[in-house]
Amino acid sequence: MKLYCLSGHPTLPCNVLKFKSTTIMLDCGLDTTSVLNFLPLPLVHSPRLSKLPGWISKDGTINLEKELKDCAGRVFVDSQPEFCLPERELLDLSTIDVILISNYHCMMALPYITEHTGFTGTVYATEPTLQIGRLLMEEVVNFMERVPKAQSATCWKNKEIQRMLPGPLKDAVDVWTWKRCYSMQEVNSALSKVQLVGYSQKVELFGAVQVSPLSSGYSLGSSNWIIQSHHEKVSYVSGSSLLTTHPQPMDQSSLKNSDVLILTGLTQMPTANPDGMLGEFCSNLAMTIRAGGNVLVPCYSSGVIYDLLECLYQFIESASLGTTPFYFISPVANSSLEFSQIFAEWLCHNKQTKVYLPEPPFPHAELIQTNKLKHYPSIHGDFSSEFRQPCVVFTGHPSLRFGDVVHFMELWGKSSLNTIIFTEPDFSYLDALAPYQPLAMKCVYCPIDTRLNFHQVSKLLKEVQPLHVVCPEQYTQPPLTQSHRSDLMLELQPPPMPYRRCSVLNLPFRRRYERVYILPELANSLVPSEIKPGVSVATVSAVVHSKDNKHTLQSVPKPPPVAPSKKRKRVMDEPPVVLAPKPLLSGAVPLEAFLATLQKHGITEVKVEETADGHILHLQAEDTLIQLEEDGTHIVCDNNEPLRTTLRDLVLRFLQKL
Amino acid sequence: MDRECVSLLPRVCEVLAASGSSLPDDTSLEKLLDWFTGLTKAGTSLLESCPCLLEFISTVVHNTALDPSILSFTLRLTGFVAVTEVAFKVLQESSVLDLVFNLQHWQEAGLWEDPCIRIGWIQGLRTMMQHPKALSFFVQADFLQPLLQLQTDKSLFVASAANQMLAHVLLSCQSVSSVGSNDVDEEGEDVGRSGGSIADLEYSAVTVETNQDYAAVVTAISECLKKSLVPRENTQLHQSLQILKLLALLLAQTRPPLWEKLLQMVADSVDELLVAGYSQLILPLMDVILAAYSCDVNRRAPDQRVSRLLSFMLNIRKPADLIQAAAAFLRRGLHDLVHTAQSARVLLLPLDIITGLNLLTTTADEQRFLMMEQLKNKTSCISLICVCLTNTPQMTLMAADCLPCPPVLIVTAVLSLLKLCSGDSSSPSSSSSGCREVSRNVIGSSKVQKCALDALTALSGSPGVEVKLAEVFTLLVQCLDNPDSDPTVLQKSFQALVQWMSVCSDLSSITDQHRQDLLQVVRKRSCDIRWEVRDSTVEFLGRLAGVRVIQTTAEEASDASVAVLGGCCFTTPLLRAALQDTESYVRASAISALAQTLAASWQQGAALTQEQTEIVNQLLEVLSWDTEGFARRAVVRYFIAWLSSMSSHSCVQSPASSSLLMPSVRSVLSRGSADLDWEVKVHTLELAELLLDEAFSGQRGYTKGNPTQTHPYAVIPNTLHTRTHNEEDVVGVLNSLVQWGVVSALLSGLVDCDRPVALRACRLLITLREVVCPLSLGALDATAAMATVARVTCELPGCGWAREIRKMLVMKAKDANAEGGVSGGEVVNCDDCGEAGQEAASVGGQTPCVSVCEVLRSLDLDERLDVLTRSSDHVHNSPLSLLQDILTASSARSQPDTQQEVIADCY
Repeated sequence: MKLYCLSGHPTLPCNVLKFKSTTIMLDCGLDTTSVLNFLPLPLVHSPRLSKLPGWISKDGTINLEKELKDCAGRVFVDSQPEFCLPERELLDLSTIDVILISNYHCMMALPYITEHTGFTGTVYATEPTLQIGRLLMEEVVNFMERVPKAQSATCWKNKEIQRMLPGPLKDAVDVWTWKRCYSMQEVNSALSKVQLVGYSQKVELFGAVQVSPLSSGYSLGSSNWIIQSHHEKVSYVSGSSLLTTHPQPMDQSSLKNSDVLILTGLTQMPTANPDGMLGEFCSNLAMTIRAGGNVLVPCYSSGVIYDLLECLYQFIESASLGTTPFYFISPVANSSLEFSQIFAEWLCHNKQTKVYLPEPPFPHAELIQTNKLKHYPSIHGDFSSEFRQPCVVFTGHPSLRFGDVVHFMELWGKSSLNTIIFTEPDFSYLDALAPYQPLAMKCVYCPIDTRLNFHQVSKLLKEVQPLHVVCPEQYTQPPLTQSHRSDLMLELQPPPMPYRRCSVLNLPFRRRYERVYILPELANSLVPSEIKPGVSVATVSAVVHSKDNKHTLQSVPKPPPVAPSKKRKRVMDEPPVVLAPKPLLSGAVPLEAFLATLQKHGITEVKVEETADGHILHLQAEDTLIQLEEDGTHIVCDNNEPLRTTLRDLVLRFLQKL
Repeated sequence: MDRECVSLLPRVCEVLAASGSSLPDDTSLEKLLDWFTGLTKAGTSLLESCPCLLEFISTVVHNTALDPSILSFTLRLTGFVAVTEVAFKVLQESSVLDLVFNLQHWQEAGLWEDPCIRIGWIQGLRTMMQHPKALSFFVQADFLQPLLQLQTDKSLFVASAANQMLAHVLLSCQSVSSVGSNDVDEEGEDVGRSGGSIADLEYSAVTVETNQDYAAVVTAISECLKKSLVPRENTQLHQSLQILKLLALLLAQTRPPLWEKLLQMVADSVDELLVAGYSQLILPLMDVILAAYSCDVNRRAPDQRVSRLLSFMLNIRKPADLIQAAAAFLRRGLHDLVHTAQSARVLLLPLDIITGLNLLTTTADEQRFLMMEQLKNKTSCISLICVCLTNTPQMTLMAADCLPCPPVLIVTAVLSLLKLCSGDSSSPSSSSSGCREVSRNVIGSSKVQKCALDALTALSGSPGVEVKLAEVFTLLVQCLDNPDSDPTVLQKSFQALVQWMSVCSDLSSITDQHRQDLLQVVRKRSCDIRWEVRDSTVEFLGRLAGVRVIQTTAEEASDASVAVLGGCCFTTPLLRAALQDTESYVRASAISALAQTLAASWQQGAALTQEQTEIVNQLLEVLSWDTEGFARRAVVRYFIAWLSSMSSHSCVQSPASSSLLMPSVRSVLSRGSADLDWEVKVHTLELAELLLDEAFSGQRGYTKGNPTQTHPYAVIPNTLHTRTHNEEDVVGVLNSLVQWGVVSALLSGLVDCDRPVALRACRLLITLREVVCPLSLGALDATAAMATVARVTCELPGCGWAREIRKMLVMKAKDANAEGGVSGGEVVNCDDCGEAGQEAASVGGQTPCVSVCEVLRSLDLDERLDVLTRSSDHVHNSPLSLLQDILTASSARSQPDTQQEVIADCY
């Protein structure tokens, strides 16, 4: 069993598991942090961004004026933003049989894998994962295609040149593999390969293994996966949460008794407690609005935003923010808000029960009804006529490089009354803000990451007790910035197996058993004999028939009656001679009884010698040795075949035959 | 004793003695016993006043088929009856006593199994044992052994009662013996402490023989203590625990000869117990040792044995036990330098280890190692650290030479611990891996944080810690800013901050950056999602305004709110925003905080700002519209604070300052007295009282505060009499009181259905009457003497309370007419105060007016006060009603037909 690790990002995993005869890809997360190296894509013409000076190396030898721009003391690539893809050279991606998706954040690289690699397999995901994943992809494509950039910068990626570049650009890895965003057509084609599954539904893969999604409690339709054969069980844990937010709670018990547990998607913010952050979010929001400023919340269009809106729903009254407008701007805002209300079966119990009342499970429906929350596909159109300040705006993309958020950064960045509150943990907020400096606007960082923290995961592992744990190497040591926090790492016995990008792990357990079926008529013909109470043994002669990874024992076909033929038979055609198998022996030879028997047969001069494994009988008159050992009996008797046969028969008397 | 009760008692006794009779409820017997207790304490001889009791006891005690609760009651009753020697003799002569306390009697009847019989037996004996005769009875009947057995009874109540009883017996024997041997200790208070021990014995009654008996009892008890102290096996721990409790009780109360003897008897066993090291027994053991030790220390130089035991306890190997012992010692607050210092060292050791600061210069390596191992376990680490921190305040009280390190270092350690809790890396302890393992146990523990913050608050008063103010300030602001801090941690941080600033007073070390950080965090917390946090923030703003500090530059005193937050321009907008909060607690706190913030400007007599005027309007709105009582109460308190701070400047009369205050007070009085919440009404009356105080201060006959509470023989300072107002003055003052609405508020309070309101109003009205028109003058004199005052009238509008008052006045007038009295009929100007009259008055747009004086004199205020002072259930709680209830319940039982009818009715 092998694990190929195609992504080094612990929360955006992409691994391939070779198990029995199947090749299974576990998630295909897209590392979008690469976009932080690019200039923002403004929705409306920005004089500031259009007039940035080009970059020329200090000694003037390298001139990349067209490709790189100097902005706020840092160098950015002036081109359509690009993403860092999962590794594609480590193994032939066309050999992948299936892709299992655990949640909508972990499928963003899907078009890169399913298109243009020769992939012919199936993708498995739950319905909300597919639908919301589609929304998120659509949103990104929309953001990119709305503001096309003709130019595509490539020169800076030259290894020689990159070495000379300043700042983070110099240290960016695998820049040659970075790719521009896919098209809507590719998205549709990729998603057409998705087959929907429900929690605990068992899917057979070629009869070899069975895969089954379990609720992971992180987001709508998010799942962990169990991959098992008759004798082995692998659990894949990705993006799970034990907090009571909107999704169905995590199914922990089904993870028990795994041979291997692959653990990814722990919280990226182990020191930030989501509850505390939510409180921080609310108080900063209220503080800004009270002082007459606007609040900008860069966020994804699904996920935490539902919880934020729910929290605000309760908070608005107590903070006397009843009259403040809340805007949600995204090309998919409407679909996201509506989709969330229809996936009742994927919601937590509380919200499910509301559906039967019937009431919308999420309170944002009421916010929309009372006009407190308004949503628009973009800043253009209706929004500009309804826009009132001070207000709160939720919009993407959290990287601040594309999407409507770029416009609000330009609009509100200069006033210290306004606040930007980061809630998504995926991007470093300082890097995200870099091209907007100097910034007068207040910045608050309250990343809300509900995924498992180290404390929760060690408790979980204690409960489910997997034999081996595989995890990204980042989880095996404390974070670099807090090297004293030994509580922020996995401490297990045996220690977890770490992986990094491009690792190939030989998973440390060997398959020892395979299930084989016996056909009834063959079973009927067996003659079991009891070798000790409760244990019977029979010999089987059969033909193994293997199809679809299922093995069946069938009766040996009788040789067809040889047709009288005058033709000369070819040796090859002769049916194999089926010899009756020799009986199998079992049991031990009792020494005293054996000696007595020998005596009866006239062998009296026997010298018994005790050895480590048994006894050696020296028949002095016959000059013969009999070695009686636990797992073998040898009769050493030179040139006296009758004696050997007699002795052999005497030994056999004490043994059972099958 | 009530004659009626005495007449009822025989029938009640019959009912109780009759089998199968029911009681109104299961507390009746207890209430009866309470009544008897009261009678006995008052010195009544039960047997003399209720002879039927003797018959009752002898009947019941023979009837073992009765309900065990009645039997138990009888046992205890016998104790009360036999409390005097005379009655005891009577009981003994009638041989009732022997049977009542005869164990065999109860055992044979199979009743001893019932714990209520056992406890009745013990308590009866205990009550009776107030004289040597009873003691002799106890000794001769050989009750000691059964009592010792009861000490480990499976019922905890029985076991505890037996323990108390044993102590009582031993102390009684001690007093008798010491009297006999003429060795009276000078410390009589020791005897007093033992509760009902024998203080005034008939010395002559003690013969040599009885003395020997007592000695035997003492020996038997001490032998038992010695024998049962060390448990043979784990299951006997309970017994040891009981013995230890008894021993602690005894060692604290006995005097030298017995004390010595007890100590000598048990010393070896205690030693053995110490070596055995049962963790469950550590605290009781420590109690014993400390009881012995504190007695000892108070008397003379400490006993060598006790000192040795104490030293042993403070050097136990098990860290958890050691800490407990040290904490117990420190809590006693004994003046023992050596052991106090030792305890402090023990308690500081965990802090020393976890923070890596060298708090202790010398500690045994082994002790340190053991403690470190213990601290590596998360649960015990947190509990140990918390015990240490909770005892830190005790350490601050210690003499400097007892402390192993200066208080500043302890403050540093607590600060460093708080940093660890928030996961901060800058602690020096991160160097050693052992410490790191320990310190990660406290990361994120809010329990430790709370204890540490309490300790930090307590440490603010220690000498020499002022230098830490800036550091403490920074850390507390960090705590306040931390998103993960729980509401209690935030509250305690705010409290600590106020405390440190109030103690340090010199804020020169606080930089502008500190101030900015605090401003930011206060602003944030005032918008917190949790109301508890918003509440603590608002409270903090108020408290801070009350702290006087010296500012950096000019060395002039100001309040801390001004010094660190910039004063009203920052706090007032926040507090005004909090007035809109959805949570009523927050609104209430905001109102009190506003009062505290503005107090300074009121005291200085500064002119009102536009903002203050707006606030007053906002508050009056809160009083009218707020749905929750808390906020409305706070509004009234706001005006009380304002008025009382102004009254020192006698602003009530000054038109400039009272331009806003007095009209507001007027509306507060009218709205507050019509409130639904009784506390609002009581506060409103307090406001009215302030106005009365202000108006009549120094007036003859006016006593500030509660007239009934002043001592009848108290000397009233002459100065009060010097300032005499002439009648014109009184008229003026009374007129303004009427105008402000004080009189209406008091009258409406008087007829309020809430007793506290009516009581307070009644007292204030009496006070007012004594000043304006004292009853002592007599009706005719009064009319003549106060012709002018009587002309002051107040309105009685058509609303509820006024109607009540009018009814009362009419009744009074009718009574007066019937008696052929003087012109009482003209009290109410509008002739007919019936419904028709009222309607006519309101239709005509005229509100009827009454003379204040006449109202005050006609309302029978004293009688009313008398009624109001009694508790509302005084009728139901009387012994008479109890006896009647018992009789009624039994008669209901004896006439089952009627009951069935009632049941049939229900269907």
